[in-house]
Amino acid sequence: MDNTIVVSTPPHVKSKRTTRGIMLDVLIALLPCAIAGIVFFGWRALVIELVAVVTCVATEFVYFFILNKGFSNKCADAKKVCLRWVKQFDLTSVITGLILALILSSDVKWYEVIIGSIFAIAVVKMLFGGTGKNLVNPAAAARVFMFLSFSATMIKYGLPAFDAISSDSGTLATGATNLSVLLGKDPASKINALDLFLGSGVAGCIGETCKVAILVGYVYLCVRQVIKWWQPLLFIAVFGFSAVFMSGFAFDSYKFDMTLFLPHILSGGVLFGAVFMFTDYSTSPKGIYGQLFYYIVAALLVAILRYLTKIEVTSFVIILINLFVPLIDKYFIRRPFGYKKEKKVKEVK
Amino acid sequence: MKAVKGKYYFGGVHPHDMKAISSSAALEVFPTPDVVAISTLQSLGKPAVPAVEAGKSVKQGEVIAKADGMISSDVFASVSGTVKEIKTMPGASGTDETFIVIESDGKNETSFMPPLADPSAEDIKQRIRDAGIVGLGGAGFPTAVKVAPRTPVDALIINGAECEPYLTCDHRLMLEKADGIAQGARYIAKALGVSKIIIGIEANKPDCIKEFEKYDDIQPVILKKQYPMGGEKQLIYVTTGRKVGVGKLPADVGVVVQNVATCFAVYEAVELGKPLFERAITISGKAVKEPKNLWVKVGTPVASLIEFCGGESVTPKKAVLGGPMTGVAVANYDSYTHKTTSGVLLMTAEEAADEEPTPCLQCGKCADVCPMHLMPMNTAFYSAAGDFDAAAKYGNVQACIECGACEYICPARRPLIQAIRKTKAYLRNKK
Repeated sequence: MDNTIVVSTPPHVKSKRTTRGIMLDVLIALLPCAIAGIVFFGWRALVIELVAVVTCVATEFVYFFILNKGFSNKCADAKKVCLRWVKQFDLTSVITGLILALILSSDVKWYEVIIGSIFAIAVVKMLFGGTGKNLVNPAAAARVFMFLSFSATMIKYGLPAFDAISSDSGTLATGATNLSVLLGKDPASKINALDLFLGSGVAGCIGETCKVAILVGYVYLCVRQVIKWWQPLLFIAVFGFSAVFMSGFAFDSYKFDMTLFLPHILSGGVLFGAVFMFTDYSTSPKGIYGQLFYYIVAALLVAILRYLTKIEVTSFVIILINLFVPLIDKYFIRRPFGYKKEKKVKEVK
Repeated sequence: MKAVKGKYYFGGVHPHDMKAISSSAALEVFPTPDVVAISTLQSLGKPAVPAVEAGKSVKQGEVIAKADGMISSDVFASVSGTVKEIKTMPGASGTDETFIVIESDGKNETSFMPPLADPSAEDIKQRIRDAGIVGLGGAGFPTAVKVAPRTPVDALIINGAECEPYLTCDHRLMLEKADGIAQGARYIAKALGVSKIIIGIEANKPDCIKEFEKYDDIQPVILKKQYPMGGEKQLIYVTTGRKVGVGKLPADVGVVVQNVATCFAVYEAVELGKPLFERAITISGKAVKEPKNLWVKVGTPVASLIEFCGGESVTPKKAVLGGPMTGVAVANYDSYTHKTTSGVLLMTAEEAADEEPTPCLQCGKCADVCPMHLMPMNTAFYSAAGDFDAAAKYGNVQACIECGACEYICPARRPLIQAIRKTKAYLRNKK
């Protein structure tokens, strides 16, 4: 009989979506942010994005090559390993690189980006087993790593301008981030929510300043069902209210000022993190109750720590909450369909 | 009665139904094959015990194997002729089964039971047992056990969902034999002592829904196109809103579910005295030249069915007995049809994607689509590590109905059903 017939367990039909397809969707969703970054911060943003992506992919390749080549020095074996790498390549390292570039200031040096990217892929992702096995978000971890290693350049944020590409003079105008204004005294008069929304004239990271681009990416991800639509919304809502609540303490007498809601959710990297980083598959819980818990706790943590430390803490919180995800997954097990809690019968003494 | 809309349940997938391939082909009678090999394992539970010996001549409808215990069913000769041999060989699922091989004389002389006129509930129950009727939806649970529930029931649900892609035999049956199905449903309702009959039909079969709107005593329910809609617990929930608990039977919430083909078999058994030895089967897939819906006798060689449909148009990638979501893949066409075989599918490489699994992304899509609200990724993770107790605990495998929705959606192509079956086998052996 014909030997080409395959025998396997059911189901024999599969959906068309593969890991690579989903990752391509994420990449497409990130493109508006990447383009907005180039428009606002000039060519240096493009250079940072390219350096980060290329370094990440190259690091993954080198790691894979060393791991799989073994002790053979034959050329054919090397070729085989390369082909295997191409076959298993699933675009995750491209996304890590791009996200890392988008959450950096446009003022970072190129070699700092390279070191950060190598850290993200080699240490955070591949050492733990590669795709889907990493404990924390590689991009967030790399940003924290760079923040601690190169704090001089990491806290300087470029001022975006619409004519950045044409008038790039080599040195970028830097400015105070709106976050320091927002968390200071009497913020309401100094901040314009529309500026924050469009990202013009507000200092910040490459991909985080233009909120319109992030929203476009969010809508795309929801339409393609890569993320669930309520996840970022829940995070943003909980964060917004708790941030407004916390910032009430900055006034001389406590004041719950809802006009600060929009400035809070639109400043810093909260929106970008909510759409692209908290929703990362491998570092977020898998059951619905676990997800609810995860987003609410993460939002509260960001709001509280941001108020207390007066710096952008989103990436720190991402790492912190990521580490608890395995525990959340173990605690929140879904109840099967039709499950009824057994009534405890008291023993008769 | 006017059709009403069914509920929605959380989970499920939406595979392309591919029913257009064969849904317009009217049911044809497959000519009597020269040789049939009838397995004694035709239902869930114990295999039947052979009651004939080699060399004995039998008539169509004669008992050739007797049921062994309650959860078992009688097996009947599907052709008239002589018993050639009784042999043990691997069945389609790979385990050894006893086959009774009958050489047909081509005459198809029948030996049926006497028809029942105006039967009582007890008569119907006895007839269902005598006719060896099993659930024809796929699981093959003996119908005689189902119509004698231990708890009182108040509704009978007829399963006309046919949610599996490709299969159209129930669709054709509902179109062409609606009266028989309705009459069979009335007999089952009488046996159960209920007056409420509900038939659930998926929305992609509007012609069948219209067909069943003409009966005054049957309530058609339009089901959303969602896989698995024909799963027993899902069907009960969407039609009545009742939830069957884990490890509980439908009768515990006061309903009994029967497939449309089972209802038709009951009708034939009661009114014609005909035991269950043939059924409607869909032969479909893009690798079949002329997809058809056929009346096939139990024990017919699969190879002859494919030949009857014009043979292969291209070399198939997979040959499946049953539906593509839960059916058994076979390595060759040497198998024989059972009472529970609902389809023979030859799928091309394009249809039956067979890709290498990639690392789990932990995206949680398998949990999102699970109709039983389980977490298959946990089962896969822990069973791969050899920790089957944790796999059972964190994945809740006892509640799994093995519908295959999780593996269908998995973007990393993880073998989830395999992991679940492995864990279930471990739990069985542990007891």
